[in-house]
Amino acid sequence: MGGLEQRFPVPYKNLSLEIKGNRTDLVICRYDDHFLSSQVMATQIGTMGTILHARKEEGVSIQPTFHVSVIFGKRDEPMLLAIARQLIEQISSSASSLPLVLSLGLKDHSAETLKGIVSAVMENRLW
Amino acid sequence: MMMSSSGKQSESEAASKAGAASIEDGVGGVQVTTFSELVDDVTLHFQIIRLPKQIFAWIGCNSAKFGDLYAAAPTRPSNSVSVASILGGASDNTGSGIARRLVIKTGLNVIVACNMPKNSPMLEANAEKKLVEKLIALGFSRPKSPGPGLSS
Repeated sequence: MGGLEQRFPVPYKNLSLEIKGNRTDLVICRYDDHFLSSQVMATQIGTMGTILHARKEEGVSIQPTFHVSVIFGKRDEPMLLAIARQLIEQISSSASSLPLVLSLGLKDHSAETLKGIVSAVMENRLW
Repeated sequence: MMMSSSGKQSESEAASKAGAASIEDGVGGVQVTTFSELVDDVTLHFQIIRLPKQIFAWIGCNSAKFGDLYAAAPTRPSNSVSVASILGGASDNTGSGIARRLVIKTGLNVIVACNMPKNSPMLEANAEKKLVEKLIALGFSRPKSPGPGLSS
C-alpha cells in the first residue's frame, strides 16, 4: 500500500464570488463521464442544497432535447430547473455531451441569480 | 448585477510529492481535498469536498467515473441513519454502506459518489478506512453532545 505520484484524475476548480450580495462558493469538477458542478451559499446554507441531474437526450432529430430533473431536495422551485437547463444547453453546445450533476444551495431564486450562476460556471468551465 | 471573482483556479497535482500526497485547497467555506492510494493493485482516488454542514466524498476505483450517488444523514429522534440512492446504484451497492458508516462516524450529512464494484468487501473496507483516516486527520469526529458535527 502506498501513495501515488501522479496527477489526480479529476480536475476541479474551487472559487468564491458574489452574486446579488450573497457569497457564493462554486466548485466545478470533471469526471470521466459526468460534470459535477456544486454551488453553495456558505453564509446561510452551508450544504450542497438541492441536487439536479441534466443530460442531453440521444435522438434522431436535428434539434437536441434535454432532460432535467431534481434528484434530491426542493422539487417546487422552477428556477433551479431553469438553471440546470441553461447550463446543460450551453455545455452541450460547446462540444461536450457529458451529463451534469448540479447542486444548488441558494438563498434566493431570482432571475439575476440564475444569470450570475450560469455565467460564473461558464466562465470557469473545465471543457 | 454585482459579481466579483475573488477565487483562484487550482488543479490538483500530486506529481512532485513523494508518498501519499494529499492536496488541500480551501476557498471561503468550501475545502477540497484530493488524494490517491494504491491498495492491493487497485488505485483508489478520493475527493473530499467539505462544506460547513455537509461532506461530499467521491471514491474512484481505477477510473475517474462519477459512479453512483448516495445521500445519508442522521435521522432524529432515534439515533439511526437513513441512506437514499439518488443516482444509479441500489441499496446494496458499495457506496451506500460507506455513506451510512460515514454518518455514524461523523454525525454530519454526507453525499457519497462511488464507482467501486459490488461484492468486493475487502476493497470497500480499505477504501472506507482510508477515507475515515483522512476525515479524522481533517478534524471530523462524532460529537459527544447533540449539535453540529463539525469539530474543527
